[in-house]
Amino acid sequence: MSDKKNHDGDVGFIKALAELLRENDLTELEVMREYGDNDSLNVRVSRQTQVISQVSVPAPAAAAPAPVAAAPALAPAASESADPASHPGAVTSPMVGTVYLAAEPGAAPFVSVGSKVNEGDTLLIVEAMKTMNQIPAPRGGTVKRLLVEDGAPVEFGAPLMIIE
Amino acid sequence: MFWPAGYERVTLDETDSTMAEARRRAEAGLERPTWIMARRQTAGRGRRGRSWVAGHGNLAATLVFRPYCTPAEGARRSFLAANALFEALAIYVERSCLSLKWPNDVLLNDGKVAGILLESSGSGPFLDWLSIGIGVNLKAVPEGINDAAFGPVSLLGEGGEEVSADTFLSVLASSYATQEAKLEKFGFARIREDWLRHAARLGDVITARTSKDDIRGVFDTVDEDGNLVLITGTGPKTIPAADIYF
Repeated sequence: MSDKKNHDGDVGFIKALAELLRENDLTELEVMREYGDNDSLNVRVSRQTQVISQVSVPAPAAAAPAPVAAAPALAPAASESADPASHPGAVTSPMVGTVYLAAEPGAAPFVSVGSKVNEGDTLLIVEAMKTMNQIPAPRGGTVKRLLVEDGAPVEFGAPLMIIE
Repeated sequence: MFWPAGYERVTLDETDSTMAEARRRAEAGLERPTWIMARRQTAGRGRRGRSWVAGHGNLAATLVFRPYCTPAEGARRSFLAANALFEALAIYVERSCLSLKWPNDVLLNDGKVAGILLESSGSGPFLDWLSIGIGVNLKAVPEGINDAAFGPVSLLGEGGEEVSADTFLSVLASSYATQEAKLEKFGFARIREDWLRHAARLGDVITARTSKDDIRGVFDTVDEDGNLVLITGTGPKTIPAADIYF
């Protein structure tokens, strides 16, 4: 139940971890914070060519009545300096779940970097609770960057790819 | 036979898969919630490309509709579908033989008697359409199933009563409509309560196999959003997508 009062602290905590990662030239760091009963924060920060941070927090109960308006900007994944989520061509995840880049294991991916897409073409799938949610292209263009890998967990609002 | 108000019913002699048919109808401008049943599927499918074989006399059907909701709310329909199927099956077999495995598997004597798969699509904050595919082994046990952990069983084979696919769909559609009414009136909390009441292995150690790794822990609960919560050696883990093994 990491609510608003924890949120700012969490973002700062994640930023500090990212800093630590860079300073020590590490590729991955996983930390857990206990706030109290059934209230904790798990953070895994990993670094490849760009820094990706993943956060899983036990369900924010208070957020239940109005999930629609919860600003994508709140997702800690967007707090990195490069911040692809704020890119005008960013396609973000509409839900927490697992990303699949292909319709099934072993099949060709829906798109890859350089693919031309039309509005409505399926870009990828985000699964939660055995629900395969297809993410259609919000507009036509070319896939410039893929920000997630097949099978990766994503948070609400996490940037998935850039289409320009 | 009773059929719930507001739902269309389509029966096809043969189609590739009722999920594919549902998608085509949704993209062609479907207006009313529609149950599509096929007597024969030539390309029935399950999660992540697994094939689904509906033997003779079994049910293969998909409900497709336009819920005015977010993708996360759409995904909670997994639990409505599981509850609806549990109650429908409980008419034909002793209910203590039935249990639920997160998020939407209905087990009969710990065997897989049915499969539920949901698909949705939407480019804005709300879904454009959602489909719920349900296959039930009413009579036949499908051959060539490799999920040894939960071997396939049939309703008839486990001592349940004989029921035709047509009749069972009527019962299931009514049962599902009841779940939607509960959701509308009492919210997801009530759906979750119903689900937890029938959950298998609550409080036991189970394994959640995600696309990345296996997470073992005590099955604590399902949270307010429908995520699986396991208590592990490093604290509680909230899991939105996984396959569960006991």
